[in-house]
Amino acid sequence: MSIVSNLRANLRTDPKRELWFTWYSTVAFYSLYSVVFFVITRTQPPGKPWLDPEQTVEWFADRHGGLLFGFGLIFVLGGWSATAIALIAYSIRRMSVSRAFAYSYLVLYLIAAVPGFLLICIAMTAGALRPDRNPEMQRWLYDLGFLSFSGTMGVFLVGSLIWMAAILLDKNRVFPRWFGYLNLCNALTEVVIAPSWIFQRGVLAWDGVIAWWIDVAVFGMYTGVFIYLLRDVIIRDDLGTGPLPERPPGRPRRLHPLAKVLR
Amino acid sequence: MSSYLVPDTVDDPRAGQSSGERVIFWTLPAVAVIWIAAFLLFPGFVPPMSPRASAAEVADFYSENLSRVRYSMILFNWFCVALIPILMLIVERMRGMAHRTPVMRYCVIGVAGAAPIAFLTSTVFWLIAAFRPDRSPDLTLLCNDLAWITFTCGVPFLVALCLFLALAIAYDDQDQPVFPRWVARFNVLIAIVLVPAGFAGLAVSGPFAWDGLVSFWLRNIAIALWIVVMAAALRQAMARDRDHDPTEIGAAP
Repeated sequence: MSIVSNLRANLRTDPKRELWFTWYSTVAFYSLYSVVFFVITRTQPPGKPWLDPEQTVEWFADRHGGLLFGFGLIFVLGGWSATAIALIAYSIRRMSVSRAFAYSYLVLYLIAAVPGFLLICIAMTAGALRPDRNPEMQRWLYDLGFLSFSGTMGVFLVGSLIWMAAILLDKNRVFPRWFGYLNLCNALTEVVIAPSWIFQRGVLAWDGVIAWWIDVAVFGMYTGVFIYLLRDVIIRDDLGTGPLPERPPGRPRRLHPLAKVLR
Repeated sequence: MSSYLVPDTVDDPRAGQSSGERVIFWTLPAVAVIWIAAFLLFPGFVPPMSPRASAAEVADFYSENLSRVRYSMILFNWFCVALIPILMLIVERMRGMAHRTPVMRYCVIGVAGAAPIAFLTSTVFWLIAAFRPDRSPDLTLLCNDLAWITFTCGVPFLVALCLFLALAIAYDDQDQPVFPRWVARFNVLIAIVLVPAGFAGLAVSGPFAWDGLVSFWLRNIAIALWIVVMAAALRQAMARDRDHDPTEIGAAP
């Protein structure tokens, strides 16, 4: 009950309701994304890059309805990803740095939507739509889906570095410095994924221990951390300019002990 | 309540200076004429191509209608993105809304850019299909599938655009809101109508297939209606902005 009334208050009467809307949407979007990719379509963990054409036909057959329904959900709700990007862009605008950082982040991530998630939806839908298609072409769609999804690297590389630079230069204490450095870890995952364009087997292939498992672990942690920190920013934000106040008194600070050490 | 509702224009020295905006606005009729012409010129829209057509039938379609496919898709490729400047006029009106942060505007800017890009991507697939009509029919079918899926299912940014605008209008609680309340409800309605198109891959026949009543006709009529209604609402909002700012060059007396 209190969660529901809290949500209603946040979204209807709170002076920061636009920010809360984007924050709740961010949580909802990443949850939906995880469910669609891991559960409904079972495209994560990814298929094997070394499947022969007939095996990719089986792969599509095995997931037929899940791919069409799951990616249908993304086709309808994928635009919601803009809320997370808008909120992060706002967090950068709230810093002491130039708005150029905020606009760069916004444009980089929004343009990335097309190669980053629309192409895998299109390719996998096309593959599932005609199970009797020539197997060589089914494999081409399979490659297009996974490589466009994993291999859309530059935006996340440069975008993370932009966010990192903004945090480290910021005098308004919007984010703790350690989070600036965590952006570097996320940027490095995009370096590590690059060999997946070359290798079809092994730890560096798109399903490999390094290119997939480590990258997903880092990205998952990074996402969880920034969602938590963005909430903290909204609570502290006075919607003004200059340094962001600390959390209002009376609210217990619940920062991770590691965070305190690193601050 | 209204104490915090300060329009986000205060820090923008160019606020209210809408000269040039009418030039952008009046490109819309020209864009509309081109879109309608390209829509009628493409032989695959009236009636829409069937997802049940065989590879040979699809290949024949491209060989027989080569010029019309190419010219119509070149037109769409040129001008589908011409809607972006119009959408940016809506974004500029959002500055006058009683929001305390620019975050709703950022949401709209993002999806407003991506929506025409999704359309543009589908024209690329159609043009590739028509580029070599003597290609293997299976490859032509593949290009055709990719084009139709991108065109029909590629609604995520439009759905989000409608819902972001609806929420932005709902949050604009001042005495004279930038857009009237019904515009928010209209946007929600359009978003709902667009939803089934996202699932067009699930059906190859019936109203939900990409050539069906819901996924093709209803979807495209909804988009056309959205452009017309939002243009009317935008025109009113722009006129009010000019009335409130006597310094604007060429403002109506």
